[in-house]
Amino acid sequence: MVIGNFLEKMAYDWARSEAPEQIKDEYYCATRDVFQARLDGMVSFLLAGKVAEGDAYMLAAIAGEIGNNSFDHNLGSWPDVPGVFFGCDLNGTQAIIVLADRGQGVLKTLKRVKPELENDEEALFTAFHEKLSGRAPESRGNGLKFVREAIEGSKKHLTFISGSAKMELNEKINISRTEAVRGCLAIIAL
Amino acid sequence: MKIDLIKFGDILVSRPAGREAYLAMSAYITKDLKEGEEVVVDFLGVKVLTPSWADEVISKLAQHYKVRFENTDNPTVKMTLKTLLINI
Repeated sequence: MVIGNFLEKMAYDWARSEAPEQIKDEYYCATRDVFQARLDGMVSFLLAGKVAEGDAYMLAAIAGEIGNNSFDHNLGSWPDVPGVFFGCDLNGTQAIIVLADRGQGVLKTLKRVKPELENDEEALFTAFHEKLSGRAPESRGNGLKFVREAIEGSKKHLTFISGSAKMELNEKINISRTEAVRGCLAIIAL
Repeated sequence: MKIDLIKFGDILVSRPAGREAYLAMSAYITKDLKEGEEVVVDFLGVKVLTPSWADEVISKLAQHYKVRFENTDNPTVKMTLKTLLINI
C-alpha cells in the first residue's frame, strides 16, 4: 500500500505493528471523551483553514461515525491498546483525516451476528451496505451506511482497511486484499 | 412542544451522548407530554448530526410522539434523517 502523508504513515504503522508502538499524545485518543473534544477542535481547524462549512461539518460527521464505531465495538474487548489514532491535516483547502484502532476489526465484530461471513472483504462490504450491527440485539448499524452515502456522489474519498481487506470509495466502491492491519484504518480525503 | 437541539450541543455525534440527551429530555422537557402529541424538533444552530446520536433521540421521540422538524438545511442533518428513513 502506498502511504504518502505523514499522518497516514504514522497511523498505518501503529495499526500494523505486532506490538503497539508509542504514538504522539496529540494523535492518541484513549477514551471517547478525548476523541469527542478533538473532533470538535477539528471542525474549528477546518473552518479556520477555509474549508467550506458544509464540507467541514460532513467530514466531522463521517469521522465521528468511524471513530465512535471503534469505541462502540471494542469497549471491554480491546486486544491490547484501547482507543483510536485521530489526526487531521490541511494542504490548502484539501483536508485529510486519518483514524485507526487496534481493535477486533470488522470481520470478528460482524461474525457474531452473521456467522456465514468468510473473510475480511465480505465483512467490509456487509458493514457498508447492510443495516447490521455486531451489537445486536440493539437496533443499530446505520453508521457506515451513512458514511458510504456521504462519500458517494461527493468529491470526498475514503480508504478503509480492516484485517486484510481494503475498500476504496468515491463514486464507486472497490474492495481488494491488502497487507493486514490489526483493527481498522480509515483515511478520509477532501 | 418545541425542542431546540442546539441546547444539547452543536456537534451531536455519539450514541452515549444521544442517550444522555434523551434521558435528560424525558426527565425535564417531555415528561408531561401525552403519547401522540406533537413535538417540534428544531435543528437551528446544529452543525454536525450523525445517525448514531439521532437514533438515540429522534427515533425514540418518534416512538412516542408525532415529530415534526424545523431548520433541516444543514447537510449532515438532511443526510442523517435520510439514513434513518425519516421524512422531512
